[in-house]
Amino acid sequence: MFWHVFKYRLKCLLRDRITLFWTLIFPLVLGTLFHFTFGHLTSDAEGFEAIKTAVIDDEAYRGNTPFQEVLQALAEPGRDQFLDLVIVPAEEAERLLDEGSVVGVIRVGEDMELMVRRRGIRQSILKSFLDTYSQTMNTAQAIAVENPAASFEPRLSFTEEISFSGAKPDTNLGYFYALIAMTCVYGSYWGIRNTMHLQADQSPQGARRSIAPTRKTRIVLSDTLAALVITLGEVSLLLTYVHFAFGISFGDQLGLILLTSLVGSASGVALGNVVGTSVRGDENLKYVVLLIANLTLSFLAGLMWAPMKDMVSQRFPLLGYLNPAALIADCFYSLHIYSTLQRFWINIGVLCLITVVLSLVSAIHLRRERYASL
Amino acid sequence: MLVRVENLVKRYGDLVALDHFNLEVQEGEIVGLLGPNGSGKTTAINCILALLKYDKGTIDVFGHPMKPDAYESKQNIGIVMQNVAVFRELTVYENIDYFCGLYVEDAKKRKEYVAEAIDFVGLGDFQTFFPHKLSGGLLRRLNIACGIAHKPKLLILDEPTVAVDPQSRNKILEGIRELNRQGTTIIYTSHYMEEVEQLCTRIVIIDQGRTIAEGTTTELKSMINGGETISVEIYLLESERLAEIRQLPHVNRAHYADHLLTVHYDGGEHNLLGLLDYLKSHEIAFNKVFSEQPTLNDVFLEITGKQLRD
Repeated sequence: MFWHVFKYRLKCLLRDRITLFWTLIFPLVLGTLFHFTFGHLTSDAEGFEAIKTAVIDDEAYRGNTPFQEVLQALAEPGRDQFLDLVIVPAEEAERLLDEGSVVGVIRVGEDMELMVRRRGIRQSILKSFLDTYSQTMNTAQAIAVENPAASFEPRLSFTEEISFSGAKPDTNLGYFYALIAMTCVYGSYWGIRNTMHLQADQSPQGARRSIAPTRKTRIVLSDTLAALVITLGEVSLLLTYVHFAFGISFGDQLGLILLTSLVGSASGVALGNVVGTSVRGDENLKYVVLLIANLTLSFLAGLMWAPMKDMVSQRFPLLGYLNPAALIADCFYSLHIYSTLQRFWINIGVLCLITVVLSLVSAIHLRRERYASL
Repeated sequence: MLVRVENLVKRYGDLVALDHFNLEVQEGEIVGLLGPNGSGKTTAINCILALLKYDKGTIDVFGHPMKPDAYESKQNIGIVMQNVAVFRELTVYENIDYFCGLYVEDAKKRKEYVAEAIDFVGLGDFQTFFPHKLSGGLLRRLNIACGIAHKPKLLILDEPTVAVDPQSRNKILEGIRELNRQGTTIIYTSHYMEEVEQLCTRIVIIDQGRTIAEGTTTELKSMINGGETISVEIYLLESERLAEIRQLPHVNRAHYADHLLTVHYDGGEHNLLGLLDYLKSHEIAFNKVFSEQPTLNDVFLEITGKQLRD
């Protein structure tokens, strides 16, 4: 009986093209749009272009071998190239600066001198580099005078992104994690559909099923399992798509990724069950309430603006912990970024708790044996 | 006694939907619940099926109190609802199989039952059709198939012929008779008096949540003063003859106007023959003759003072 109900529920849901569109096709399209929008922005914003700089070729420069070595290292062609360097006489350097062909001109001396024609981020970076170099050299000279035996390694890299798991942090990943969280939460549309066909006061099908000599618990569990299987399948498809098509990384812990998808999907279906059983009114009203809930949860999880999730968790931590979408997104983020799983397990634990509470609330409503009106 | 409903009271706020409603259904009967829209027929059915809460009264089905968890009783009940209760995403075959499967676990047995139900309602050529591809009549037949596939002992049909073409309606009514012949007890609700009259062995007339009359068609019609009415086109009828006609057996009243003699009877048999014999024996020339039997609407009108289809 259980599998009979499950089999036909699965068929019913899979043939519901409208819900299938919103829960599967829509996230796939959204993921593709994210890739072509944010992926492009990422390469522009994060692809650092070497700063075009002129160094005046004079006696002071030629006599400062350590500085020459530093400049050579920083101008080394490749992904980490910091400076695009030209060594030219003073007049030529000024001409290039006036033309705008270089960002700044460095005159080597006891105090390093930087000439710029305008203010900007690249000019500030150059200034910061020269200041740091001067301070470092002064410190090194002081150490050498006080302790000649000490060795000193010049610092060529000033800042570095650190990831506990060794993965490279990428703010745009937040959008994809929020998208997957949204897809999990969209399992609620399957949940609400099930509840419409479970309650005698919501549909003739619900009435006919209520009259049958089958225990309601059995029908509810079969229906819920069907909704869960479909949602999990959709989330897995989306994960596979964004991973292989767009190279979105989820870390290498496949089992935990699947666990997140499973618990996330369950929380989504449970959310739909609660709205379908608790909201008094017709089908349209229930769907409107669910739509608003889903959009709000997804927004707070960073779907529309990635930093929103962190902002909420910093300013309203409780709200962050009550939002299944934010918890799901954070699970994926934790798996990708952190080497320890403490944060991941806390998120999973809270998600499970939310799912259980939502399921209990809908079970209480579904347990109603007779209706006041049909 | 298959169904016994005693003093059932159901209120929707201030509105009393069922007012001490009583019903008894014996095994093998086709009981018709007849009443205008809003009279409480569907409410009564929903209470019997343990779907609706009610304020007062008792309901026993198959000798046991009817409750939501009365699974043994439910096993033997079939329901055909007023609204078509099928899944639009499942084909004709799948819908019948699904609902039958809620009653019959044995897959082999279920397959036989489903095939029989499809054959019974004549949907053999439409097994792979989805409901939205079916006409209104075929959809109603599918609705019936979903309710009867598990071979219930008690079948409740709530206005199963609403918005159905005459061909499908006849098919449905004939199917119900056949089910009854096979041993199924039937409760049939309708506001179509002709259907109820044709089909039911016993009729319960409901109005404003109360049972106002109950019995066979003949019993119900005998409850009212009005009997058969015969009208005869006569070119000229003298008043003496009209007075004599009024003295014929079972004549309640008679009048002549606009060349039409109208005679109301309050019972009796072969009234038409008696009247025609009188006209012939007195050499009264006549043209067209009309005879009207009293209807259940007349019964309803007599008891409530309003038309059944008001």
